[in-house]
Amino acid sequence: MQQPHRRRDRLTQRTEERTTMTAAWRQLPVLILLILAPCRTVSSKSVDPTTQPLVSIASQPTDTRSVVLQESVDQTTQTLVSIAPQPTDTRSFVLKGDTTFKNVELLNPVNLSLECVWTGSQNKQPSITGYWRKDGAEVQDSRVTVNLKEQQYNLTKVFSIASEENLGNYTCVFGNEFEMYFILGAPQMGEIRDKPIVSYVGDIVVLICKMDEKKPKPNTWTWYKFNGTDREEISAATDPHRYLTINDGWKTKLKVKNVSEADSGLYHCGAVYNISTSMTHVELKVITIMEPLKPFISILIEVIILVAAILIYERSRSKKKEAEANGPNAEPKNAQPQTEDNGGEKSSSVRQRKA
Amino acid sequence: MSYTLDRKMPPAPADVSGPKPLDGGWGWMVVFGAHISIGFAYSTPKALSIFFKEIQEDLGASYSEIAWISSIMLAVMYAGGPVSSMLVSRFGSRPVVMMGGLMCGVSMVTASFGSSIVYLYLCIGIIGGWGLCFNLNASLTIISKYFLAKRPLANGLAMAGSPVFLCFLAPVNQFLLGHYGWRGSLLILGGMMLNCCVAGALMRPVAQPCDLRACAPPQEVKQTNNTKSSGSCMKNVKTFVDLSFFKDQGFIIYLVGNVMFIFGAYAPIVFLSAYAISLGVEEYSAAYLLSIMGFVDMFVRPGTGLIANSKWIRPRIQYLFSFAMVFNGTFHLLCPLMTTYTLLVAYAVFFGVGFGMVFALIFECLMDLMGSQRFPSAVGLVTIIECFPMLLGPPAAGFLVDVFGDYKYLFFMCGGVITTGGLFLFVMNVYNYNRLDRASRGDDAEQNQNTTENQEQVTPAGCTVGSAAQDDQ
Repeated sequence: MQQPHRRRDRLTQRTEERTTMTAAWRQLPVLILLILAPCRTVSSKSVDPTTQPLVSIASQPTDTRSVVLQESVDQTTQTLVSIAPQPTDTRSFVLKGDTTFKNVELLNPVNLSLECVWTGSQNKQPSITGYWRKDGAEVQDSRVTVNLKEQQYNLTKVFSIASEENLGNYTCVFGNEFEMYFILGAPQMGEIRDKPIVSYVGDIVVLICKMDEKKPKPNTWTWYKFNGTDREEISAATDPHRYLTINDGWKTKLKVKNVSEADSGLYHCGAVYNISTSMTHVELKVITIMEPLKPFISILIEVIILVAAILIYERSRSKKKEAEANGPNAEPKNAQPQTEDNGGEKSSSVRQRKA
Repeated sequence: MSYTLDRKMPPAPADVSGPKPLDGGWGWMVVFGAHISIGFAYSTPKALSIFFKEIQEDLGASYSEIAWISSIMLAVMYAGGPVSSMLVSRFGSRPVVMMGGLMCGVSMVTASFGSSIVYLYLCIGIIGGWGLCFNLNASLTIISKYFLAKRPLANGLAMAGSPVFLCFLAPVNQFLLGHYGWRGSLLILGGMMLNCCVAGALMRPVAQPCDLRACAPPQEVKQTNNTKSSGSCMKNVKTFVDLSFFKDQGFIIYLVGNVMFIFGAYAPIVFLSAYAISLGVEEYSAAYLLSIMGFVDMFVRPGTGLIANSKWIRPRIQYLFSFAMVFNGTFHLLCPLMTTYTLLVAYAVFFGVGFGMVFALIFECLMDLMGSQRFPSAVGLVTIIECFPMLLGPPAAGFLVDVFGDYKYLFFMCGGVITTGGLFLFVMNVYNYNRLDRASRGDDAEQNQNTTENQEQVTPAGCTVGSAAQDDQ
């Protein structure tokens, strides 16, 4: 499993960086100022004892980003690309009220400053309580009193996104009145195929997962098959005779040879990034040739019955007509009926013919 | 036959001397059978494209390699025309359509076991294409045998099979694909195509004058008349493609107009969604435009047949055909002006109307020109010649799009070609009819006496009166 390895790597990374964090220390005053500035006017009226949101920067990678929901930006998705931890590259965007959420896609561990801006409701109180929630649970030490400044409320917090467990839904709450949220995660795969891929016993099937090429390229891909609740990794290594994975940048293909009905089910493909793996699934359904054969045979029977019925009807009518006409017959085998309404008028001249 | 006296172009020999067409009764069952047969013929190549993506992934082929399957199928369907005409003239429509249905079914069933692209080319493309070719040709022929007075209506109803089946097959194919994958879907589709055999069973043979052993004297006369047409029993092998048709001016005019139409007809269909998407319409709505067009087409075809049947239009049916072509072409020329989705929907509706009108009349006009006796061989010749513009049209249009990077030149080209074709047909028909009218007025007195005598002469022209006139000229 790759994720535990990555976590261990990050711990070692942290210990290394602790000793060489000059850049981080340079950022520290700036960050503290940013955080403390709105907190200066914290009044003693706030209920919670803790008022200072503390960011443990020292133990974090040097990378810091600041994201604010911005009205003028069309996309509700923001992707942060960082090749190597970059110092002091703080960006800030401003959002006013209309967009209530933003998707933020991260590649690497990063310090993220999230800021929410709200223009307030009708009766604008001079200060309200704001706090942050992560995935529904309130973030510790995040309650602050937000003051109305230039007709808006600003709620900012820096979060350390170090590993997958730090990803999720971060909601900023203004009093009991207004909420906005950021969805932090690795780049997600857009097109999820809802219909299963159908294959036949003994056939070779190719399962494909694609990441949008506008998004960053995954480091690698992994495939899993769930056995009940357990996740089992599939790769060419585990079973080289049956599985073959072809990873090609934004696309991955899993070739399963000689499928059987036991191979039906959900196959999960994961696009591996530094921060986490984003998963999606493809369903495989393996059926025997009997399944489509049943409707085919029923249609075949229907066709045979209809054709026989039509021809028998025709023959019986022609025999009836010949019996009525009582004239010399053409070869009985090839006797075809005349066009109905003509009766026997022109039949004498055109009776003998082949079908 | 009294209405025919109003026509500028009297019917060809067979309509006058053969058994009187039924124009009803079992004929409507035949129309139903032709509807099914023609429906499968035109809609299968298009409906198969739903499977292409899956087949592409499974067999590891490129998109253009897969698209060749449809192209080969269409090409064989049109190119096999003369052979099909020959078989129909020899054996009648029923065995040919049943054979065609069987071939289609077999082609799809064998294709479902395929594991290479070439195998699919052979099964679906060639065998399937031949099956569809037999279906198409024979169905059209039997309509011409069963109907005269109501023939435009019968043609309209039968040709309506194409959009009806397309509307029906597209969602059915999607459903089958989701449940059985492409292999099972091809298997079941093969079963469905066997229903063409049922359609064939419905096509009860009509009095066929072409029987060597039992030919009575009056029919022998017809046979000498037929020696030059490819429908002849005796010379069916030798006169594979009857070039004497090219001496018929009416036929040449029709052929030129048709070639121009077919060249420009299919490209807008192929590129309409891409054009809409390039204007910013979302993908699902762009695909919806084609459905609108097909839906409108479904009702316009029988409607046009009904209109063409009316006593004011029927004598001037060739003019209606040229009007329909000009109508179609004009809307293609106007398409680049349609920049919003609503306007595109309007364009799709009018496109459907124009397209349906032309296709409802396309074979009716040929029957009108050639008469039911020469129609089978004529239609074979027409389809094999139409094969070329049909295959060249969309790639040429695509080339224009690539070179200029703009879809409007595609629409200008298609619209221009079709409108020119329509105008050409109109002008030349006026000229031709006037010429024949003048000749016929001169021969009016002799006309009744000469009807049977003309049959003994070899007449490559399109009508009894006209032939007499041309002999004099």
